[in-house]
Amino acid sequence: MTEAILTSARAALAAAPPTGDPAYERYCRELAKRLAAHWPAVLDANAQDLARAEERGLSPVLLDRLRLTDAHLGRLEHLTEAVLNELGRVTARDPGVPIGDWGVRLRSPKPLGVVFMVYEARPTVTVEGALLPVAVGNAVLLRGGKEIARTNEALSAVAREALEAAGLPAHLVTVLDDPDRAQLRALLKRPDAVDVLIPRGSPSLIDYCRSASTIPVIASGGGVNHVYVHKSADLGLAAEVALDSKLPEPTACNTAEMMLVDAEVADDLVAAVLHAAERDNRQVTVRLDPRVPRPGGEAGGDSGAGGERPWRIDELQEHDLGREFLDATIGVRAVEGLDEALAHIRRHGSGHTEGVLAADRGVSEEFTRRVDAAAIVVNGSLRLHDGPTLGLGSEISISTGRMHVRGPVTLGSLVTHSWVVEAHGTLRSSVTAHRP
Amino acid sequence: MITGLDRDAVAESVKRVVIAESRLSLKPADIDDHEPLNGEILRVNSLGFVGMLVRLEDELDIVLPDDLFVGRSFETVHDLIEIVLLGAEASQ
Repeated sequence: MTEAILTSARAALAAAPPTGDPAYERYCRELAKRLAAHWPAVLDANAQDLARAEERGLSPVLLDRLRLTDAHLGRLEHLTEAVLNELGRVTARDPGVPIGDWGVRLRSPKPLGVVFMVYEARPTVTVEGALLPVAVGNAVLLRGGKEIARTNEALSAVAREALEAAGLPAHLVTVLDDPDRAQLRALLKRPDAVDVLIPRGSPSLIDYCRSASTIPVIASGGGVNHVYVHKSADLGLAAEVALDSKLPEPTACNTAEMMLVDAEVADDLVAAVLHAAERDNRQVTVRLDPRVPRPGGEAGGDSGAGGERPWRIDELQEHDLGREFLDATIGVRAVEGLDEALAHIRRHGSGHTEGVLAADRGVSEEFTRRVDAAAIVVNGSLRLHDGPTLGLGSEISISTGRMHVRGPVTLGSLVTHSWVVEAHGTLRSSVTAHRP
Repeated sequence: MITGLDRDAVAESVKRVVIAESRLSLKPADIDDHEPLNGEILRVNSLGFVGMLVRLEDELDIVLPDDLFVGRSFETVHDLIEIVLLGAEASQ
């Protein structure tokens, strides 16, 4: 079975037109059109998955992750449109660069090949996987969680229909429907047939893919992200950055987990955060370094009395260092300056997104020189780190890897290139004479 | 419990994967057997089980049944250790 899947995917890749062919634009349009046309069927399938998951006792939060709504359709249609608009930029012909007086070198984009995406129970990832890699000529194998098996089956039919309507090989998208982990293991052992692995989901899954396979991996190492607040920072801005970096999407990989704040302004920062939370009724839990005085003194207590206030204060524990809270919790730890903040980030950070807040330009420049992360945000929210917001284009994930792509994994990251050398009849022996 | 698996080895592996799953920087020894899987320290949800299962199978050189967690109640690390021991035994 595994062999047949790989053979079909590689055959589709070989039969597909070159990256940049108009068929891929047609595919984006057809996918949007057919998603809309078949959305009721997709929702029916999704309802079956939800009913089964509910029977199995999944929590409401997890059920929400599985659930598709009309709002998702709108977002997916927007994504297909965005990808369509970005294709030209990625596939435009390189004007080339002269080489001496004899030729021109230019890059020609090529697909990465067969891309294997492994993820959990987010049905929108199935559409993202069927869209972004395929739009630039890759074949994809999509293995989602069995919790969304029926939804994926419906989405698979939509993608296949769109491929055929666009004149592309149907096996450019293969949704794997075998929940057996043996198939997953077998595919991970095929670097000869799978070119890139993109795991999205739980840390165990990503760690497993990284350690069990020799296939190149594009993945996020999780987001243990910090914001260093220098004493020169505007603390009102720092409070807003703290809340904006955490609350809108507390489980996203680009949220802030810990504010590292110069000790002399730590209590003022906490006061500013609580004030901002209270002003806008934003629910937040602050895990506070015991060295930082609690607002209102020891009796300042755990939270707004009787739940009148939207904030809560807990004590920061040793095990909170280097963790992702995965909820509306943010840590505040006092540091004795930039060096201590950098040491903390080196020890506990995951190299995803780090931030600095400072009016002193020298401090922020030093921070950006010495911190090593996929993105470093100066005087702003960590959630600015995503492809569309940065103007880099639609993304399929954010990579913390050091090779090929770091940060937003956009269409441009889903291609490699060939060097095209326009030599105009030049022979190598005639060029040698010009070498230094 | 009668099993061919070393309980301590299973406990250490289970703790290692739940620590990784909860995105914590702790050692297995830092986690008590009775630590809740969803509590103050650990955050484990069932959607992450594929990754946990393949890691456990590899670490312990066992094959666990696909439906290992279906219909079972587990609240603590101890529960998970027991389920993995049972699953490993059943698959032998």
